[in-house]
Amino acid sequence: MSHVAATVLLAAGCALEVIAVLGAVAMRDALDRLHYVGLASYGALLCGVAILVRQSFSVIGDKALLVGVLFAVLGPALVHVTARALRTRAHGDWREDIAAHREDRQP
Amino acid sequence: MNEWEVAAAVLGAALIGCGALAALTTVATALVALELGGTIATTILMVLSEGLQRQPFIDLALVLAVLSVLGGMVIARLLEEDL
Repeated sequence: MSHVAATVLLAAGCALEVIAVLGAVAMRDALDRLHYVGLASYGALLCGVAILVRQSFSVIGDKALLVGVLFAVLGPALVHVTARALRTRAHGDWREDIAAHREDRQP
Repeated sequence: MNEWEVAAAVLGAALIGCGALAALTTVATALVALELGGTIATTILMVLSEGLQRQPFIDLALVLAVLSVLGGMVIARLLEEDL
């Protein structure tokens, strides 16, 4: 039973990562492509859980889970830092146009 | 060839896509491709560790996971200042 569960989790994790790469290739600019980095992080988490299900709490299983959790926790922070850096690079300041955008939306 | 090795081969093909994206597009997109490639390379090492029953690979995966995230943040910071 654990063999089947591990295989299903592994297939799901690999599928997420392949979809993330296809999405990154298909999108138009860097900020659009950045969304798929977060998706790939959850693929790594699923692969880590697959190894844990197969190995139980062994050295490989524990570290695989740690790697997956690291990506799931730090992935959004990495995406945020990158998006902010790309926006600063493009506009000079990441706050540029935000205040004007808010004023436009107020009734 | 077991299922773990097949998964590593599929992810290796995906890694080639990341390399092509980094090589053929702008610097900003190359950074995104680098971050995506770091995640995929780490997953390949994890999966190979289980498939080949080689414990050192999981240590490599753990080190690569930390370094790829921190390296991505540092390179993003450098790109922000246009260095």
